[in-house]
Amino acid sequence: MSDRPDPAAEMQRLYDEAERGTAAALERLVSRDAFGEVLAKSAENVLAVQKLGSDLADMVVRNLRIAGRRDVTSLARQLARTEDKLERVLQEVERLQDELRASQASQNGAKQDKRVTSQ
Amino acid sequence: MNRLEQLARAPVAAVDYANIILTQGDAPVGTTPKDVVWTHRKTTLYRYRSTRRTHPLPLLLVFALINRPAIFDLRPGNSFVEFLLDEGYDVFLLDWGVPDEEDADMGLENYVCDELPWGIRETLRASGQEELSLLGWCIGGALVAMYGALEPSGPARNLVLLTTPVDTSGSLYRSWVGRESFDVDYIAEKLPAVPGPGIDVVNKMMKPVQNYWITYRQLWHNVLEGTARREAYQAMASWVADNPPFPSRAYREWITVMYKQNKLPTGRLRLRDRRVDLRNLEQNLLVVTAGADHIAPRDGTLPLLDLASSEDVTHFDRKGGHIGLMAGSRAKQEIWPDIAEWLESRSSA
Repeated sequence: MSDRPDPAAEMQRLYDEAERGTAAALERLVSRDAFGEVLAKSAENVLAVQKLGSDLADMVVRNLRIAGRRDVTSLARQLARTEDKLERVLQEVERLQDELRASQASQNGAKQDKRVTSQ
Repeated sequence: MNRLEQLARAPVAAVDYANIILTQGDAPVGTTPKDVVWTHRKTTLYRYRSTRRTHPLPLLLVFALINRPAIFDLRPGNSFVEFLLDEGYDVFLLDWGVPDEEDADMGLENYVCDELPWGIRETLRASGQEELSLLGWCIGGALVAMYGALEPSGPARNLVLLTTPVDTSGSLYRSWVGRESFDVDYIAEKLPAVPGPGIDVVNKMMKPVQNYWITYRQLWHNVLEGTARREAYQAMASWVADNPPFPSRAYREWITVMYKQNKLPTGRLRLRDRRVDLRNLEQNLLVVTAGADHIAPRDGTLPLLDLASSEDVTHFDRKGGHIGLMAGSRAKQEIWPDIAEWLESRSSA
Protein backbone atom coordinates (compact mmCIF):
# COMPACT_ATOMS: atom_id res chain seq x y z
CA MET A 1 0.00 0.00 0.00
CA SER A 2 2.77 2.41 0.95
CA ASP A 3 4.50 1.73 -2.41
CA ARG A 4 1.63 3.29 -4.32
CA PRO A 5 2.49 6.89 -5.24
CA ASP A 6 0.35 9.69 -3.89
CA PRO A 7 -1.88 10.74 -6.84
CA ALA A 8 -1.52 14.44 -6.00
CA ALA A 9 2.27 14.18 -5.84
CA GLU A 10 2.27 12.24 -9.09
CA MET A 11 0.13 14.91 -10.72
CA GLN A 12 2.51 17.59 -9.46
CA ARG A 13 5.48 15.68 -10.84
CA LEU A 14 3.82 15.35 -14.23
CA TYR A 15 2.94 19.03 -14.24
CA ASP A 16 6.51 20.10 -13.34
CA GLU A 17 7.84 17.87 -16.07
CA ALA A 18 5.41 19.34 -18.62
CA GLU A 19 6.29 22.89 -17.57
CA ARG A 20 10.02 22.26 -17.86
CA GLY A 21 9.52 20.61 -21.23
CA THR A 22 7.37 23.46 -22.54
CA ALA A 23 9.86 26.09 -21.33
CA ALA A 24 12.75 24.31 -23.04
CA ALA A 25 10.76 23.75 -26.24
CA LEU A 26 9.67 27.39 -26.46
CA GLU A 27 13.23 28.58 -25.80
CA ARG A 28 14.39 26.39 -28.67
CA LEU A 29 11.58 27.75 -30.81
CA VAL A 30 12.42 31.41 -30.19
CA SER A 31 16.06 30.80 -31.00
CA ARG A 32 15.21 29.56 -34.50
CA ASP A 33 15.82 31.72 -37.56
CA ALA A 34 12.19 31.48 -38.61
CA PHE A 35 11.07 32.97 -35.31
CA GLY A 36 13.50 35.86 -35.79
CA GLU A 37 12.01 36.51 -39.24
CA VAL A 38 8.45 36.46 -37.89
CA LEU A 39 9.42 38.76 -35.03
CA ALA A 40 11.07 41.25 -37.39
CA LYS A 41 8.07 41.38 -39.72
CA SER A 42 5.58 41.48 -36.84
CA ALA A 43 7.42 44.43 -35.31
CA GLU A 44 7.11 46.31 -38.60
CA ASN A 45 3.43 45.46 -38.92
CA VAL A 46 2.59 46.54 -35.39
CA LEU A 47 4.52 49.71 -35.96
CA ALA A 48 2.81 50.52 -39.24
CA VAL A 49 -0.65 50.04 -37.71
CA GLN A 50 0.27 52.12 -34.68
CA LYS A 51 1.64 54.87 -36.91
CA LEU A 52 -1.58 54.94 -38.94
CA GLY A 53 -3.66 55.24 -35.78
CA SER A 54 -1.41 57.89 -34.33
CA ASP A 55 -1.42 59.99 -37.53
CA LEU A 56 -5.19 59.73 -37.76
CA ALA A 57 -5.67 60.79 -34.13
CA ASP A 58 -3.29 63.69 -34.63
CA MET A 59 -5.15 64.80 -37.74
CA VAL A 60 -8.49 64.78 -35.91
CA VAL A 61 -7.08 66.79 -33.01
CA ARG A 62 -5.46 69.34 -35.32
CA ASN A 63 -8.64 69.75 -37.33
CA LEU A 64 -10.37 70.60 -34.07
CA ARG A 65 -7.85 73.46 -33.82
CA ILE A 66 -6.30 71.92 -30.72
CA ALA A 67 -2.55 71.44 -30.32
CA GLY A 68 -1.78 67.84 -31.22
CA ARG A 69 1.03 65.59 -30.12
CA ARG A 70 3.18 66.78 -33.00
CA ASP A 71 2.81 70.41 -31.90
CA VAL A 72 3.65 69.59 -28.29
CA THR A 73 6.69 67.59 -29.39
CA SER A 74 7.83 70.43 -31.60
CA LEU A 75 7.63 72.86 -28.68
CA ALA A 76 9.44 70.40 -26.40
CA ARG A 77 12.19 70.06 -29.02
CA GLN A 78 12.68 73.80 -29.07
CA LEU A 79 12.92 73.77 -25.28
CA ALA A 80 15.47 70.96 -25.42
CA ARG A 81 17.57 72.86 -27.95
CA THR A 82 17.45 75.96 -25.76
CA GLU A 83 18.51 73.89 -22.76
CA ASP A 84 21.42 72.48 -24.79
CA LYS A 85 22.58 75.99 -25.62
CA LEU A 86 22.13 77.15 -22.04
CA GLU A 87 24.20 74.24 -20.74
CA ARG A 88 27.02 75.10 -23.13
CA VAL A 89 26.86 78.80 -22.21
CA LEU A 90 27.00 77.85 -18.52
CA GLN A 91 30.03 75.67 -19.16
CA GLU A 92 31.71 78.53 -21.01
CA VAL A 93 30.94 80.94 -18.15
CA GLU A 94 32.34 78.46 -15.64
CA ARG A 95 35.47 78.00 -17.76
CA LEU A 96 35.97 81.78 -17.92
CA GLN A 97 35.38 82.06 -14.16
CA ASP A 98 38.02 79.39 -13.55
CA GLU A 99 40.41 81.22 -15.88
CA LEU A 100 39.73 84.53 -14.13
CA ARG A 101 40.27 82.95 -10.71
CA ALA A 102 43.53 81.40 -11.88
CA SER A 103 44.81 84.64 -13.34
CA GLN A 104 43.77 86.58 -10.19
CA ALA A 105 45.55 84.01 -8.06
CA SER A 106 48.71 84.28 -10.11
CA GLN A 107 48.53 88.12 -9.96
CA ASN A 108 48.07 88.01 -6.17
CA GLY A 109 50.97 85.61 -5.93
CA ALA A 110 53.16 87.97 -7.94
CA LYS A 111 52.14 90.91 -5.72
CA GLN A 112 52.89 88.93 -2.59
CA ASP A 113 56.29 87.99 -3.97
CA LYS A 114 56.93 91.66 -4.70
CA ARG A 115 56.05 92.71 -1.15
CA VAL A 116 58.31 90.07 0.27
CA THR A 117 61.28 91.23 -1.83
CA SER A 118 60.71 94.91 -0.93
CA GLN A 119 60.86 94.25 2.84
CA MET B 1 -0.07 22.12 3.92
CA ASN B 2 -2.13 19.22 2.59
CA ARG B 3 -4.42 19.38 -0.43
CA LEU B 4 -7.56 19.89 1.64
CA GLU B 5 -6.01 22.78 3.51
CA GLN B 6 -4.86 24.28 0.22
CA LEU B 7 -8.37 23.99 -1.17
CA ALA B 8 -9.83 25.65 1.89
CA ARG B 9 -7.30 28.47 1.66
CA ALA B 10 -7.70 29.00 -2.08
CA PRO B 11 -10.45 31.70 -1.97
CA VAL B 12 -8.49 33.85 0.49
CA ALA B 13 -5.30 33.21 -1.44
CA ALA B 14 -7.01 34.24 -4.68
CA VAL B 15 -8.00 37.60 -3.17
CA ASP B 16 -4.50 38.09 -1.79
CA TYR B 17 -2.93 37.11 -5.13
CA ALA B 18 -5.16 39.53 -7.06
CA ASN B 19 -4.30 42.25 -4.55
CA ILE B 20 -0.56 41.70 -4.98
CA ILE B 21 -0.85 41.85 -8.78
CA LEU B 22 -3.25 44.80 -8.87
CA THR B 23 -1.32 46.98 -6.41
CA GLN B 24 2.20 46.19 -7.63
CA GLY B 25 2.42 49.54 -9.39
CA ASP B 26 2.05 51.27 -6.03
CA ALA B 27 5.08 49.52 -4.53
CA PRO B 28 7.63 52.12 -3.43
CA VAL B 29 10.95 51.70 -5.23
CA GLY B 30 14.06 53.89 -5.08
CA THR B 31 13.14 55.50 -1.76
CA THR B 32 16.57 56.25 -0.29
CA PRO B 33 16.70 60.05 0.24
CA LYS B 34 18.67 61.87 -2.43
CA ASP B 35 19.22 65.40 -3.69
CA VAL B 36 19.23 66.71 -7.23
CA VAL B 37 22.70 68.00 -8.08
CA TRP B 38 22.31 68.80 -11.77
CA THR B 39 19.85 68.37 -14.60
CA HIS B 40 20.09 68.61 -18.35
CA ARG B 41 17.11 67.80 -20.54
CA LYS B 42 15.86 64.47 -19.15
CA THR B 43 19.10 63.57 -17.38
CA THR B 44 19.34 64.14 -13.63
CA LEU B 45 22.34 63.69 -11.38
CA TYR B 46 21.41 62.70 -7.82
CA ARG B 47 23.54 62.50 -4.71
CA TYR B 48 22.34 60.18 -1.96
CA ARG B 49 22.24 61.68 1.51
CA SER B 50 24.70 60.23 3.96
CA THR B 51 26.30 61.16 7.26
CA ARG B 52 28.98 58.51 7.10
CA ARG B 53 31.07 59.12 3.99
CA THR B 54 34.40 57.54 4.77
CA HIS B 55 35.79 56.86 1.27
CA PRO B 56 36.88 60.09 -0.42
CA LEU B 57 36.38 58.89 -4.01
CA PRO B 58 32.76 59.40 -5.12
CA LEU B 59 30.99 56.56 -6.89
CA LEU B 60 28.76 57.39 -9.86
CA LEU B 61 26.12 54.82 -10.82
CA VAL B 62 25.03 54.59 -14.46
CA PHE B 63 22.18 52.38 -15.59
CA ALA B 64 20.85 51.29 -18.97
CA LEU B 65 18.67 53.28 -21.33
CA ILE B 66 15.91 50.68 -20.94
CA ASN B 67 14.29 50.33 -17.49
CA ARG B 68 14.83 52.80 -14.69
CA PRO B 69 17.84 53.04 -12.39
CA ALA B 70 15.64 52.40 -9.34
CA ILE B 71 16.98 48.83 -9.48
CA PHE B 72 20.09 50.21 -7.71
CA ASP B 73 17.81 51.17 -4.83
CA LEU B 74 15.03 48.62 -5.11
CA ARG B 75 13.49 48.65 -1.63
CA PRO B 76 14.57 49.31 1.95
CA GLY B 77 16.54 46.34 3.20
CA ASN B 78 17.42 45.21 -0.31
CA SER B 79 19.05 48.25 -1.84
CA PHE B 80 22.54 48.37 -3.34
CA VAL B 81 22.61 52.12 -2.73
CA GLU B 82 21.68 51.63 0.93
CA PHE B 83 24.45 49.05 1.21
CA LEU B 84 27.05 51.36 -0.36
CA LEU B 85 26.03 54.24 1.92
CA ASP B 86 26.40 51.95 4.94
CA GLU B 87 29.86 51.05 3.67
CA GLY B 88 30.77 54.74 3.66
CA TYR B 89 30.66 55.56 -0.05
CA ASP B 90 29.65 58.91 -1.49
CA VAL B 91 27.06 57.68 -3.98
CA PHE B 92 25.81 59.57 -7.02
CA LEU B 93 23.34 58.38 -9.63
CA LEU B 94 23.07 59.52 -13.24
CA ASP B 95 19.42 59.00 -14.17
CA TRP B 96 18.66 59.22 -17.91
CA GLY B 97 15.05 60.06 -17.07
CA VAL B 98 12.08 59.24 -19.27
CA PRO B 99 12.85 60.40 -22.81
CA ASP B 100 10.03 61.15 -25.19
CA GLU B 101 9.54 62.13 -28.82
CA GLU B 102 11.36 65.43 -28.36
CA ASP B 103 14.50 63.46 -27.46
CA ALA B 104 14.58 61.59 -30.76
CA ASP B 105 17.85 63.39 -31.58
CA MET B 106 19.66 61.87 -28.59
CA GLY B 107 22.25 59.45 -29.94
CA LEU B 108 24.92 57.36 -28.29
CA GLU B 109 27.40 60.22 -28.69
CA ASN B 110 25.11 62.50 -26.68
CA TYR B 111 25.09 60.02 -23.81
CA VAL B 112 28.79 59.09 -23.96
CA CYS B 113 30.33 62.43 -24.96
CA ASP B 114 27.94 64.89 -23.28
CA GLU B 115 25.63 63.63 -20.56
CA LEU B 116 28.11 61.25 -18.93
CA PRO B 117 31.13 63.62 -18.87
CA TRP B 118 28.92 66.47 -17.71
CA GLY B 119 27.50 64.27 -14.97
CA ILE B 120 31.06 63.34 -14.00
CA ARG B 121 32.07 67.00 -13.92
CA GLU B 122 29.16 67.83 -11.62
CA THR B 123 29.91 64.80 -9.41
CA LEU B 124 33.49 65.97 -8.96
CA ARG B 125 32.37 69.50 -8.28
CA ALA B 126 29.80 68.39 -5.67
CA SER B 127 32.21 66.00 -3.94
CA GLY B 128 35.26 68.25 -4.15
CA GLN B 129 37.35 65.41 -5.58
CA GLU B 130 39.44 65.17 -8.74
CA GLU B 131 38.73 61.51 -9.47
CA LEU B 132 35.81 59.13 -9.16
CA SER B 133 34.65 55.55 -9.65
CA LEU B 134 32.11 54.70 -12.33
CA LEU B 135 29.76 51.76 -12.03
CA GLY B 136 27.75 50.85 -15.12
CA TRP B 137 25.18 48.11 -15.49
CA CYS B 138 24.00 46.53 -18.76
CA ILE B 139 23.85 49.25 -21.46
CA GLY B 140 25.07 51.61 -18.76
CA GLY B 141 28.19 49.44 -18.51
CA ALA B 142 28.74 49.70 -22.25
CA LEU B 143 28.33 53.49 -22.10
CA VAL B 144 30.83 53.66 -19.23
CA ALA B 145 33.27 51.43 -21.15
CA MET B 146 32.93 53.66 -24.23
CA TYR B 147 33.58 56.74 -22.12
CA GLY B 148 36.55 55.07 -20.41
CA ALA B 149 38.03 54.17 -23.80
CA LEU B 150 37.62 57.72 -25.06
CA GLU B 151 39.03 59.28 -21.88
CA PRO B 152 41.69 56.90 -20.54
CA SER B 153 43.43 59.67 -18.67
CA GLY B 154 40.20 61.30 -17.54
CA PRO B 155 38.93 61.56 -13.99
CA ALA B 156 37.58 57.99 -13.81
CA ARG B 157 40.02 55.97 -11.69
CA ASN B 158 37.91 52.83 -11.33
CA LEU B 159 35.42 51.26 -13.72
CA VAL B 160 32.97 48.64 -12.50
CA LEU B 161 31.07 47.00 -15.35
CA LEU B 162 28.15 44.76 -14.45
CA THR B 163 26.65 42.30 -16.97
CA THR B 164 27.81 44.48 -19.84
CA PRO B 165 27.34 43.48 -23.48
CA VAL B 166 30.56 43.88 -25.45
CA ASP B 167 30.77 41.20 -28.15
CA THR B 168 27.25 40.21 -29.21
CA SER B 169 28.19 37.50 -31.69
CA GLY B 170 26.27 34.31 -31.01
CA SER B 171 23.70 35.96 -28.75
CA LEU B 172 19.98 35.32 -29.16
CA TYR B 173 19.28 39.03 -29.24
CA ARG B 174 21.63 39.37 -32.20
CA SER B 175 19.86 36.60 -34.06
CA TRP B 176 16.64 38.61 -33.69
CA VAL B 177 17.62 42.22 -34.23
CA GLY B 178 20.96 41.75 -35.98
CA ARG B 179 19.39 40.09 -39.02
CA GLU B 180 18.88 42.08 -42.21
CA SER B 181 15.10 41.65 -42.15
CA PHE B 182 14.91 43.53 -38.84
CA ASP B 183 14.75 47.03 -40.29
CA VAL B 184 15.90 49.21 -37.42
CA ASP B 185 15.98 52.27 -39.68
CA TYR B 186 12.28 51.86 -40.44
CA ILE B 187 11.50 51.57 -36.73
CA ALA B 188 13.60 54.59 -35.79
CA GLU B 189 12.11 56.61 -38.61
CA LYS B 190 8.53 55.83 -37.66
CA LEU B 191 8.94 56.05 -33.89
CA PRO B 192 10.73 59.10 -32.47
CA ALA B 193 10.78 57.28 -29.12
CA VAL B 194 10.71 53.48 -29.25
CA PRO B 195 8.16 52.41 -26.60
CA GLY B 196 9.73 50.70 -23.61
CA PRO B 197 6.98 48.07 -23.27
CA GLY B 198 7.74 46.92 -26.85
CA ILE B 199 11.39 46.37 -25.95
CA ASP B 200 10.31 44.66 -22.74
CA VAL B 201 8.11 42.20 -24.65
CA VAL B 202 11.04 41.26 -26.87
CA ASN B 203 13.32 40.78 -23.85
CA LYS B 204 10.71 38.61 -22.14
CA MET B 205 10.23 36.52 -25.27
CA MET B 206 13.74 35.17 -24.75
CA LYS B 207 12.37 33.05 -21.91
CA PRO B 208 8.63 33.11 -22.58
CA VAL B 209 7.46 30.44 -20.17
CA GLN B 210 9.60 31.76 -17.33
CA ASN B 211 8.49 35.36 -17.81
CA TYR B 212 4.86 34.92 -18.78
CA TRP B 213 3.88 31.87 -16.74
CA ILE B 214 6.30 30.56 -14.14
CA THR B 215 6.71 33.93 -12.39
CA TYR B 216 2.95 34.14 -11.80
CA ARG B 217 2.53 30.45 -11.05
CA GLN B 218 5.30 30.64 -8.44
CA LEU B 219 3.69 33.68 -6.88
CA TRP B 220 0.36 31.83 -6.67
CA HIS B 221 2.09 28.85 -5.08
CA ASN B 222 3.79 31.08 -2.51
CA VAL B 223 0.57 32.94 -1.71
CA LEU B 224 -1.24 29.65 -1.26
CA GLU B 225 1.50 28.38 1.03
CA GLY B 226 1.56 31.67 2.91
CA THR B 227 5.23 32.22 2.06
CA ALA B 228 4.87 35.01 -0.52
CA ARG B 229 7.23 37.94 0.03
CA ARG B 230 4.84 40.65 -1.00
CA GLU B 231 7.23 43.62 -0.82
CA ALA B 232 9.99 41.80 -2.67
CA TYR B 233 7.71 40.62 -5.47
CA GLN B 234 5.93 43.94 -5.89
CA ALA B 235 9.10 46.02 -5.89
CA MET B 236 10.72 43.85 -8.57
CA ALA B 237 7.52 43.56 -10.65
CA SER B 238 6.97 47.28 -10.44
CA TRP B 239 10.52 47.96 -11.60
CA VAL B 240 10.29 45.41 -14.44
CA ALA B 241 7.08 47.04 -15.69
CA ASP B 242 8.58 50.54 -15.71
CA ASN B 243 10.00 50.80 -19.22
CA PRO B 244 10.93 54.26 -20.46
CA PRO B 245 11.02 54.88 -24.20
CA PHE B 246 14.34 54.52 -26.04
CA PRO B 247 15.20 57.67 -28.06
CA SER B 248 15.04 56.56 -31.68
CA ARG B 249 18.50 57.72 -32.69
CA ALA B 250 20.15 56.01 -29.73
CA TYR B 251 18.06 52.89 -30.42
CA ARG B 252 19.06 52.79 -34.08
CA GLU B 253 22.73 53.30 -33.20
CA TRP B 254 22.69 50.76 -30.37
CA ILE B 255 21.11 48.03 -32.50
CA THR B 256 23.30 48.82 -35.50
CA VAL B 257 26.59 49.24 -33.69
CA MET B 258 26.18 46.43 -31.19
CA TYR B 259 24.07 43.81 -32.93
CA LYS B 260 24.20 44.35 -36.68
CA GLN B 261 27.86 45.38 -36.97
CA ASN B 262 29.30 44.32 -33.61
CA LYS B 263 31.67 47.28 -33.66
CA LEU B 264 32.55 47.59 -29.97
CA PRO B 265 34.97 44.64 -29.61
CA THR B 266 36.67 45.40 -32.91
CA GLY B 267 37.33 49.06 -32.11
CA ARG B 268 35.46 50.26 -35.19
CA LEU B 269 32.89 52.34 -33.33
CA ARG B 270 33.32 56.08 -33.76
CA LEU B 271 31.66 58.74 -31.64
CA ARG B 272 32.13 62.41 -32.58
CA ASP B 273 34.82 61.35 -35.01
CA ARG B 274 36.78 59.66 -32.23
CA ARG B 275 37.46 55.96 -32.30
CA VAL B 276 36.15 54.02 -29.34
CA ASP B 277 38.84 51.42 -28.85
CA LEU B 278 38.45 49.32 -25.72
CA ARG B 279 42.19 48.66 -25.85
CA ASN B 280 42.54 52.24 -24.60
CA LEU B 281 40.96 51.33 -21.26
CA GLU B 282 43.60 52.02 -18.63
CA GLN B 283 41.47 52.47 -15.53
CA ASN B 284 41.30 49.91 -12.74
CA LEU B 285 38.69 47.54 -14.08
CA LEU B 286 36.20 45.24 -12.38
CA VAL B 287 34.06 43.13 -14.70
CA VAL B 288 31.13 41.21 -13.24
CA THR B 289 29.39 38.51 -15.24
CA ALA B 290 26.39 36.28 -14.45
CA GLY B 291 26.42 32.64 -15.49
CA ALA B 292 22.71 32.54 -16.37
CA ASP B 293 22.57 35.93 -18.10
CA HIS B 294 20.63 35.52 -21.36
CA ILE B 295 20.44 39.25 -22.16
CA ALA B 296 24.18 40.03 -21.96
CA PRO B 297 25.62 36.50 -22.00
CA ARG B 298 28.82 35.96 -20.06
CA ASP B 299 30.76 34.95 -23.19
CA GLY B 300 29.93 38.28 -24.76
CA THR B 301 31.51 40.23 -21.90
CA LEU B 302 34.69 38.19 -21.50
CA PRO B 303 36.53 39.68 -24.53
CA LEU B 304 36.71 42.89 -22.53
CA LEU B 305 39.17 41.25 -20.15
CA ASP B 306 41.63 40.70 -22.98
CA LEU B 307 40.96 43.95 -24.77
CA ALA B 308 41.47 46.36 -21.86
CA SER B 309 45.02 47.65 -21.35
CA SER B 310 44.38 48.22 -17.64
CA GLU B 311 47.06 46.84 -15.34
CA ASP B 312 44.48 46.16 -12.64
CA VAL B 313 41.74 43.91 -14.03
CA THR B 314 39.44 41.80 -11.85
CA HIS B 315 36.69 39.48 -12.97
CA PHE B 316 33.88 38.21 -10.74
CA ASP B 317 31.85 35.45 -12.32
CA ARG B 318 28.77 34.60 -10.30
CA LYS B 319 25.64 32.53 -10.55
CA GLY B 320 22.44 34.36 -11.41
CA GLY B 321 20.76 36.22 -14.21
CA HIS B 322 21.15 39.61 -15.81
CA ILE B 323 19.25 41.42 -13.06
CA GLY B 324 18.96 38.79 -10.33
CA LEU B 325 22.74 38.83 -9.87
CA MET B 326 22.64 42.34 -8.41
CA ALA B 327 19.05 42.69 -7.25
CA GLY B 328 18.15 39.17 -6.13
CA SER B 329 17.70 38.20 -2.51
CA ARG B 330 21.22 36.73 -2.31
CA ALA B 331 23.02 39.71 -3.85
CA LYS B 332 23.48 41.36 -0.45
CA GLN B 333 25.55 38.42 0.75
CA GLU B 334 27.10 37.21 -2.48
CA ILE B 335 28.15 40.09 -4.72
CA TRP B 336 27.68 43.50 -3.07
CA PRO B 337 30.34 42.92 -0.38
CA ASP B 338 32.83 41.79 -3.05
CA ILE B 339 32.24 44.92 -5.11
CA ALA B 340 32.54 47.14 -2.03
CA GLU B 341 35.76 45.41 -1.03
CA TRP B 342 37.22 45.83 -4.53
CA LEU B 343 36.33 49.52 -4.48
CA GLU B 344 37.57 50.10 -0.94
CA SER B 345 41.25 49.56 -1.69
CA ARG B 346 40.96 51.80 -4.75
CA SER B 347 38.96 54.67 -3.28
CA SER B 348 41.49 56.58 -1.20
CA ALA B 349 42.12 60.24 -1.98
